[in-house]
Amino acid sequence: MMLRMRALCRKELRQLFASPIAYVVLTVYVALTGIYFFQHLVSYNQLLFVYQSEGMTGGGFDQGTVPTRINVLNEVFVPSADDFGLFLLVVLPLVTMRVFAEERANGTDELLLTSGLRPWEVAFAKHAVTYAFVALLLLGSAIYPAVVVLRASLGMEHLAALLLGQLFYGCAIASLGLACSSFTSSQIVAAVLGYAIPFVLLDFAWLSNTVSEGVAAVLREAALLSHYGSFARGVIELRNVVYFEGVALLGWLLSVASLELSRAR
Amino acid sequence: MTFLPAAGVVMILVGVGSYYATRSLHGMSAFSGANVAIGLVLLVLGAIAQARRFRGFSGSESRRVVVRWIAILLGVFAGVVGLDVWAHAVTARIDLTVDRQYTLSDESIELCHELEKKGGPPVELVFFEDALLAKDVRLLVDAYGDSCPGVQIRDASRREPPQAARDLYTTTATTVIACRHDVCDPVGYPSERNITNAVARFTRERAIRVYFTVGHGEIDLASESDTGYSGVAAMLRDQGFDPQAFVGPAASEVPADADLVVVAAPERDLMPEELAVLDRYLARGGRMLVLAEAGQRSNFYSQFLPRWGFALDDAVVLDRASSPLLQDPKPVNLLVHRYAPYNPVTRNLGPRTMTLLPRARPTELGRNPSAGAKLDRAAFASPRSWVSHDVAAALAGRDVAPPDSSDPHEISLVATGRYPRAGSEEDSSQEARIVVIGDREFVSNRLLEALYNRDLFLNAVRWLGNDEQRIALSDKGWTPNQDPLTLQQTVAYFYFLAFALPEALLLLGIFAWWRQRA
Repeated sequence: MMLRMRALCRKELRQLFASPIAYVVLTVYVALTGIYFFQHLVSYNQLLFVYQSEGMTGGGFDQGTVPTRINVLNEVFVPSADDFGLFLLVVLPLVTMRVFAEERANGTDELLLTSGLRPWEVAFAKHAVTYAFVALLLLGSAIYPAVVVLRASLGMEHLAALLLGQLFYGCAIASLGLACSSFTSSQIVAAVLGYAIPFVLLDFAWLSNTVSEGVAAVLREAALLSHYGSFARGVIELRNVVYFEGVALLGWLLSVASLELSRAR
Repeated sequence: MTFLPAAGVVMILVGVGSYYATRSLHGMSAFSGANVAIGLVLLVLGAIAQARRFRGFSGSESRRVVVRWIAILLGVFAGVVGLDVWAHAVTARIDLTVDRQYTLSDESIELCHELEKKGGPPVELVFFEDALLAKDVRLLVDAYGDSCPGVQIRDASRREPPQAARDLYTTTATTVIACRHDVCDPVGYPSERNITNAVARFTRERAIRVYFTVGHGEIDLASESDTGYSGVAAMLRDQGFDPQAFVGPAASEVPADADLVVVAAPERDLMPEELAVLDRYLARGGRMLVLAEAGQRSNFYSQFLPRWGFALDDAVVLDRASSPLLQDPKPVNLLVHRYAPYNPVTRNLGPRTMTLLPRARPTELGRNPSAGAKLDRAAFASPRSWVSHDVAAALAGRDVAPPDSSDPHEISLVATGRYPRAGSEEDSSQEARIVVIGDREFVSNRLLEALYNRDLFLNAVRWLGNDEQRIALSDKGWTPNQDPLTLQQTVAYFYFLAFALPEALLLLGIFAWWRQRA
């Protein structure tokens, strides 16, 4: 079984990196995260300048009195992490849309399912390779934050928490996108659904005024964003890990169910 | 894909997207709501239409697979929800911040246990989710809910806060208010120190009793006029103090239950017997807060305070850069932003936390009354200020020119004194303490909430009331490097990460595409 899985993963990796879409996604994500991180850094530098020049111009304040609350963590790291989460939402459906839908459109899914591979193995390999790609995306975008973490004495553990959170969050979004892809042969449909479902799941604050308090609490618990923020602040909470892993598991099971259904028809 | 579900998805996306784009202006707009609602209807209609045309489920095998998988998915979903509920209950977390920012310090935990041991209803931390700092503070507040047995978190957006908390809520700057029963205490900047201090007041056995002397033209605690102290009285009660009047001429001693005595600007002389009562009170380790006033000539200033090491000249401090906060700015309205950093009375106050002291009297140190006494100056007027002895003219608003030449010196506006008791020098809780603030109007009803006046006053009464250990709970030790990258370094990294690296990746993509075509 291990041999089969390894062969399947290798095939998926080859397929992923043979198409330019993976590189385009990597390019877009790394460029976007670089630009936004830069913007936050520039704004932060300007903020520091304002504080420091206020002291220098003798506006009644002593020099060097930038409040400790104004620091890289609060002004750059946390807002950037929020941005990065949204960028993952933007780029990941572009990767997941083709994974199952392309096989279905080309008819190669039948070949796979009749080659002795079980549906869960096929789904597992496709999910695993996509998660590995998510990890690669995150590594590409982690260089800038890593430099700042080192220079600001923020602690590498904090960066590890952020990356772990992004990985969980990215895998959950990818898993939903893969589940959408597994139910259709149209990559466009897979992409639209891959955007729509995580986008709607992102935050239910827009519904909170129209539903009862109990329902609002459940919706808040179901929202992606309410589980993502604490990682950026350096805290790994079990409930958030359970949530993201639960979403990823459900996405994988939906993919397996879709393949089983295809085989049964 | 048919038209209906596609249109439904588009409308839902536009509805939710427009909500996100405009939520800072208003809540859910009619446009967003209508888009989401119509989109959902279209999606359902589309799904019904699709299902009717869906083929392949007629066979029993297909139906069996569908039923089995629906059961599996529901089972797994229920399992995930169960796990999630369990994870909420155990509240396990790993704090990887460099200063363990979201893990409560030993002092806070100890206080929580103290609170639990005392029993009674829990302290509620009312958390306002709409506050500007809510996102940053949420994890810290949760830490209290998880680690503090006597503390509960009450989310104001989910459960209506008590009336007292609603009264204290002002703007989105209010993040946390600590409440027990109907008594609430707002937490300023929601750091661990401030939240723990707010919780701490509920652990005290009894309210700290504060006696205000009356009968010599002092400010009236009950007066609701602009210059009255009814606001101070209400604030003290809110903060767990018990303000009372002390009728000096009728008393042979300061009451035994007095934790501190406030002498708020006596206009007339005190009788020698009254001064002796106050002397005896201090000699046995009493605490006193003096709020002085420029232009007053009571013997309290000229006889009593010098005996305890303070020299309050009959003068007024002036500064041309007087506060524009007042409708009629005069040089007597001082903005104070220079504090002694290690004095407990001015702790937490700094260059950005100014206080406004109108009609302040210079509060200097005189001859030290005893070898063990420790006298300090705690707050200073700006270097541009000067002292004028023409008090009447200055208070009347007439132009009083600064001296032509004067040596630059610091004019003290707040001073403190500590007088250890013989035989218990090491025990600071036994020592007498005096705080002299050169102004009485800064906590009048008109100015109590101005700038950080309230904080200066509360620091003083807390220190005098032996409550300073709560003020002293230090913030976490991490000092961030606030300037990690210069602008040049930032730009250099930017070129590499936003241009060079993406460029390389794009070239790799073109190569992959070319190879695939070849």
